[in-house]
Amino acid sequence: MSKEKVIRKPVEKIKPGQIVLFAVTILLAILFLYPVFFALISAFKSNGDILKNPIALPTSFYTQNFKDLFAQSDFATAIRHSIFLTVVSELLIVCIVPMAAYGIERRKSKTTSLIYTYFLAGMMIPFHLYMFPLFKEMKMFHIFGNMVGPIVCYISGSIAFGTLLYCSFLKGIPLEIEEAAQIDGCTPFQTFWKVTFPLLGPCTGSMVILNGLGIWNDYLMPYLALPSGKAKTITVEIASFVGQYTARWDIVFAGTVISIVPALIIFCMFQKYFVKGITAGAAKG
Amino acid sequence: MQKRRKFDKTAFVFIAPAFIFFTLFIIVPTVSSAYYSFTSWDGVSPNVKFIGLANYKEIFTSARFGNALKNTIILTVFISIFENAFALALALIVDNVRWGKNFFRSAFYVPVLVSGIVSGFIWKIMYNYNFGTINTILKDIGMGDFRQDWLGNNKLTLLMIGVVLVWKGAGYYMIIYLASLQSVSPDLIEAAQIDGASPWQRFKSITVPLISGAFTINFTLSLINGLKVFDQINVMTDGGPGFTSETLVYLLYKVGFNEGRQGFGTAVGIMLLFIIIILNTLQQKFLRSREVQM
Repeated sequence: MSKEKVIRKPVEKIKPGQIVLFAVTILLAILFLYPVFFALISAFKSNGDILKNPIALPTSFYTQNFKDLFAQSDFATAIRHSIFLTVVSELLIVCIVPMAAYGIERRKSKTTSLIYTYFLAGMMIPFHLYMFPLFKEMKMFHIFGNMVGPIVCYISGSIAFGTLLYCSFLKGIPLEIEEAAQIDGCTPFQTFWKVTFPLLGPCTGSMVILNGLGIWNDYLMPYLALPSGKAKTITVEIASFVGQYTARWDIVFAGTVISIVPALIIFCMFQKYFVKGITAGAAKG
Repeated sequence: MQKRRKFDKTAFVFIAPAFIFFTLFIIVPTVSSAYYSFTSWDGVSPNVKFIGLANYKEIFTSARFGNALKNTIILTVFISIFENAFALALALIVDNVRWGKNFFRSAFYVPVLVSGIVSGFIWKIMYNYNFGTINTILKDIGMGDFRQDWLGNNKLTLLMIGVVLVWKGAGYYMIIYLASLQSVSPDLIEAAQIDGASPWQRFKSITVPLISGAFTINFTLSLINGLKVFDQINVMTDGGPGFTSETLVYLLYKVGFNEGRQGFGTAVGIMLLFIIIILNTLQQKFLRSREVQM
């Protein structure tokens, strides 16, 4: 798209309007980035310095906050839990959701269309509505108070949006390739995993990234469903610090940096998947 | 075109796992919450007492629910309007700025990456009366009189929470507007330019109708997300001061977990679902009809 524009507009003179717009954009960017920047600098300042002047930059590479964070809480376990929940849920989501979408889109029948509508209706149901009975049900299945519970719920929660995303993407993949594979003697299962699934790569990328961010940042589910009295996830630990160490902002800021930085790195590496996932999800109609 | 076939074994095998998860952990609890909303269930004891419409009666008569509903509406409307205004403005800016398009698009998206809890914490500190960034800056630029207890002031609390959500959400909706803007054919704009339309006329008569699809989606999404706000309220105010920032979701959570009235909590949840269904229907009816399809 941008290429087209470059061709349309050859060398152009810089107009004053463009400079004004550029200045406004920089100002807005500063405004939007400042709170994150504020958290970053505060993580490397002592509590006294944060209180004395919140705007000042750290004067040295001060890492005591991080040492205190790991010494005073079981933050290492929380990090491990966050990674475990995100990775395992993602792996299972990427197995289950594209398969369902394939069944719906490639084996179209009245029943599959109904199932598609059924899944989409799930997008309207807020988690908060059904969380009390859900926890009761989880206790019944003995998956309350361990890692299985949240993982199962993350999978279930990803199905509505995921099916939508994969179905819209599948529509753009020509049938001929699959038909050729089938003629060569592939079973539907082999056709899907060996031929179609690799072609769905960009969609899987978007799915993994958007869902992963949601799971990494989730609070209520691990807070309520993981055993109390122990470290849960990064987000839950941060929330509990806010209550506990009301006077030690420095420690909390160190925690927030650990929460934000992985998301930032993933974002910088896989930007296009964020954009694709959001726009594909919105274009559902 | 594919021909429609019968629901065969292959389709069943492919769809079954997702269907089972979805039904067991979303639909079953949703349906049972409809049942629990007619009970005085406390969430712990095994015997659940059926009390008919008592929970709903309480909902329509209690001042606390009315207050939560009012707060929810204020917060949601505030968020939707400003999120969309900012998102559209940012998308237009990013689309038109001459240098650093990609950088700016990423910069505006960064807040979306921050978790609800973390964003709530960062802003809570920035809002702090004595040591917060905002009051410090106000003092430094000689506007010390405007210093506020941003979250402690009854009249401001909800809006200050709204500011955090707008900051965090605008980048997401910007991406959708941006994709929509970029799909507007430059030929149309050029044709209008040749016909002598001013930039404002071009925007109003060509761009706006063509991006109204994105507008519909964004407005609905931001309304529904606004209704579900929880994390920031939890970290920043815990529903306070008093009940000034208690929304429906927060009321549901508090009565359910702190007061052991999960039956009443689920009844509040059912009301929330109704509101979402109504919003979705309205979206389909009114906004869709205005869209222009190219």
